[in-house]
Amino acid sequence: MPDQRVVEPEYLLLEAPREKKFITGSQAFAEAVKRANVDIAIAYPITPQSETMHLVGDLYAQGYVKDYYRAEEEYGAMSAIAGAVRGGARAFTATSGPGLLRGLEAIVSWPGHRIPVVLGVMTRVVNAPLSIQPDNIEISYLLNAGLVVLHAENQQDVFDFTLAGFVISEKVDVYLPVVVATEGFFVTHAKGYVQMPSEDMKLPPRDPYKAPVPPTDCEIPPARIQRDAPVQKSNFMSYLIHAVWQQEVWSANRRAMKWIYKYLGGPVEVVNPDAEVFIVASGCAAAQGREAQRYAEQEGLPVGLVKVKSLRPFPEKEVREALKNAKAVIVPEHNIVGWLAKEVKSVIPNSGIVIDGPRVYGGMTLPVELIMEEIYKALGIKKEKKTVV
Amino acid sequence: MKRYNIRIAGVGGQGVVTSAHILGNAMSAAGKYATLVPFFGSEKRMAPVEAYVRVSDQPIYEVGEVVYPNVIMIYHPQVITHGKSYTMPFYTGLKENGLILINSDADIIPDEDKKVLEDLNARIYMIPATQIARDIAGTELATNMAMVGLFFGITRLVGLEHIEKALYERFLGGTFVASGGTTALDSAIEKKFKKKQELLAKNMEVIKYTMKLAEENGWVEEEEKKVAT
Amino acid sequence: MGLEYVRISPGFERYMPRDYVDLVKFGQFGKQVDVMQLGQFKELVEEHPMCAGCYMAYFIRVFYAALPNPEDTIVLGTAGCARLALSQAAVPFIYGNYGDTNAVASGLKRALTIRFPDKVKDVVVIAGDGGLMDIGFGMTMHSWFRGEKFTTIMVDNEVYGNTGGQESGMSPKGVQLKMAPLGKKFDKINAVELAQVAGCVYVARISPTNPKRIAKVIRRAIYAAREFGPTFIHAYTSCNIEYSIPTREVLKDAREREKKDFKFYEWMTDEVKEYLEEIERKEKEKAKQEVK
Repeated sequence: MPDQRVVEPEYLLLEAPREKKFITGSQAFAEAVKRANVDIAIAYPITPQSETMHLVGDLYAQGYVKDYYRAEEEYGAMSAIAGAVRGGARAFTATSGPGLLRGLEAIVSWPGHRIPVVLGVMTRVVNAPLSIQPDNIEISYLLNAGLVVLHAENQQDVFDFTLAGFVISEKVDVYLPVVVATEGFFVTHAKGYVQMPSEDMKLPPRDPYKAPVPPTDCEIPPARIQRDAPVQKSNFMSYLIHAVWQQEVWSANRRAMKWIYKYLGGPVEVVNPDAEVFIVASGCAAAQGREAQRYAEQEGLPVGLVKVKSLRPFPEKEVREALKNAKAVIVPEHNIVGWLAKEVKSVIPNSGIVIDGPRVYGGMTLPVELIMEEIYKALGIKKEKKTVV
Repeated sequence: MKRYNIRIAGVGGQGVVTSAHILGNAMSAAGKYATLVPFFGSEKRMAPVEAYVRVSDQPIYEVGEVVYPNVIMIYHPQVITHGKSYTMPFYTGLKENGLILINSDADIIPDEDKKVLEDLNARIYMIPATQIARDIAGTELATNMAMVGLFFGITRLVGLEHIEKALYERFLGGTFVASGGTTALDSAIEKKFKKKQELLAKNMEVIKYTMKLAEENGWVEEEEKKVAT
Repeated sequence: MGLEYVRISPGFERYMPRDYVDLVKFGQFGKQVDVMQLGQFKELVEEHPMCAGCYMAYFIRVFYAALPNPEDTIVLGTAGCARLALSQAAVPFIYGNYGDTNAVASGLKRALTIRFPDKVKDVVVIAGDGGLMDIGFGMTMHSWFRGEKFTTIMVDNEVYGNTGGQESGMSPKGVQLKMAPLGKKFDKINAVELAQVAGCVYVARISPTNPKRIAKVIRRAIYAAREFGPTFIHAYTSCNIEYSIPTREVLKDAREREKKDFKFYEWMTDEVKEYLEEIERKEKEKAKQEVK
């Protein structure tokens, strides 16, 4: 392990020279953790996530991470993460599909407990019949909890979102967990090019006293003597306290947006803004959409792409602006319910232009050809198909 | 833009996933682009295994299994004769003007399928890759190398030095993330060859042989014929 | 040391709440108190909304008085009766999700060890029979298997009191409770034996009839956890409501149970024994000197 010098987040994330590596998504998670000055990582096996936490375990063995253990199961892992973060540590963990749902009670309580942490979510089918493939319906379970949810398209996003995730999560005006979701296998087990700053640098350590809610470490004057547990005084106090606390959680969630602009270049990426037909997609579906947009452009078709990087906070204004002249909006997704299509429809005035799909589920590949078909349909183009399917 | 979307079908134990990594790493070594998706299920000896590789001179965005390939590589005759593939028939989804590379010492494509492939204007090249591996490397485990050599022999996408670098990375580098099964197989190969260096040299010989085979048979793609999507 | 943070900056006394000033002046911070003096010093917990005659409330009161290091102690609890009092004590309290205490405590203790390798930071879980032996069973056991260095105290009222009197794994066999309309069909879980097998270095079972002994057991468990590994106390804290024990008879009930299935039991490893003897010898010497 090289000696790592602490550098400012702005330098590490935005300015430091980068070198190109050909690595898997799992490796990209680990490379981000390596540079994030992480105190503790807690692992529990589930495919396809396990490889990421194996690699983080190697980082612990090498000394990049100070403590690491294999937990009893996900609820225990996510609870222990909450304990470690309350104790002032910077923590990382990751899970997939059924593991995410098993840990969900703990995870959705993190925002209310004001737990700044980064959680990697490598998507996997959650409902029966069981499968290990990368359906991403589980992301919809994360959208109403106050968590910041970023959705990575490829290995580069995994690296950038994870490293920036630690910085954003610990901002005083955010102080919330950041989920970095990406599709299992398609990203985690596939290799892609990732531009990374040198591994001899790391983020400054977490400063748990720079916080809206202090750590529980007996090292600060008590904010109040907890003689009076007000939540229990009456139902009215209970309503009120929960309400104001959650209002603040969601305000904090919206405040993450400015940091997403600063560190990740904004919550959306728009390709060919003057197009007539737009593909709106997040995660892997954005990669498929990007490919389709390129083919369409080669054929001279007026097609654009809106990649949504941040699902929470959702870029309402940005999506509305990008689609203001759109005649049709195609929303390719890796799940059966179409959670992204619903989000998109909810923020534009003319939701009738949104085409629900194409969707694949069960973790199936989303062939670019399916998106092309929707593009041709939207533009009234007829194509003859010869392929045997 | 040159783009090959490759579907490799073989059976467990043939090094299908390993060769996908080598194809990708060789492209990377040549400064070009590749993405790969090994199919991860429970891999068992002689059960169907598929891997997918996309190679191009331009960045590649899309991910996932190649449903509509323009190159199909068949590592074992049973893929065709016993239906050991995830999709039936083995050429499902093949695009027009595609390439099919088959490891077989006999013509195993049924006539009715030949007719469909002709309509799609597919080029079919067959070599006895297992026999070549046995003759040159002394092990069937180099079958995948024969197929890699054939692919690069036809497409000429990368030079020998790039393939060699890819092999080096795969067998001697520390960056490859292997499944338990692959690691066990590696150690079996190692025992057979004693030294990894020797293994690498044998593999290179197989690759050189099938590359030359492509040249001698006049299978090398001319520039304008190259598959473009 | 947490003590610095508890103390009031000079000149601020008159602006601080009376309660706080009394805690610092007449409370336990920075000193050891004798539990037999309860009522003669400012206690860490005074008010609580627990039922009249609740033995668990009494146990918790003794627990706080027994803490060897209250200014550097963090208490964790889970849903249930105990946390009603725990959340009102002048010691940092973490109220997590259902049954998560021993997982949260594992992460917390490790974080504190990373950040303050040279300081004593005591982490103590106080949770009920439902929290530790039912919903949180896996996390309780695994924190012990892993050898996590904190103390777990099970306040066993043999019922889910806070949710209205349902059967728990610690209810005695045959008892008719909600969700056990025909009586409980299996035996009380042997938590003490489980703890011992699972790797606790100090284990005690106690019916809280003798405050001095309660305090001693609690201090021993906390001391041992600092150095050696997980420690466990199984305390009988009856539910006078669900088990219909008249308020004036809760102590009598505790004594009766002490004669039956809650006989005092204490077990520790040899190295813990040696360590505790040394600490207790020093404490006695110190006390003697103070008397002089």
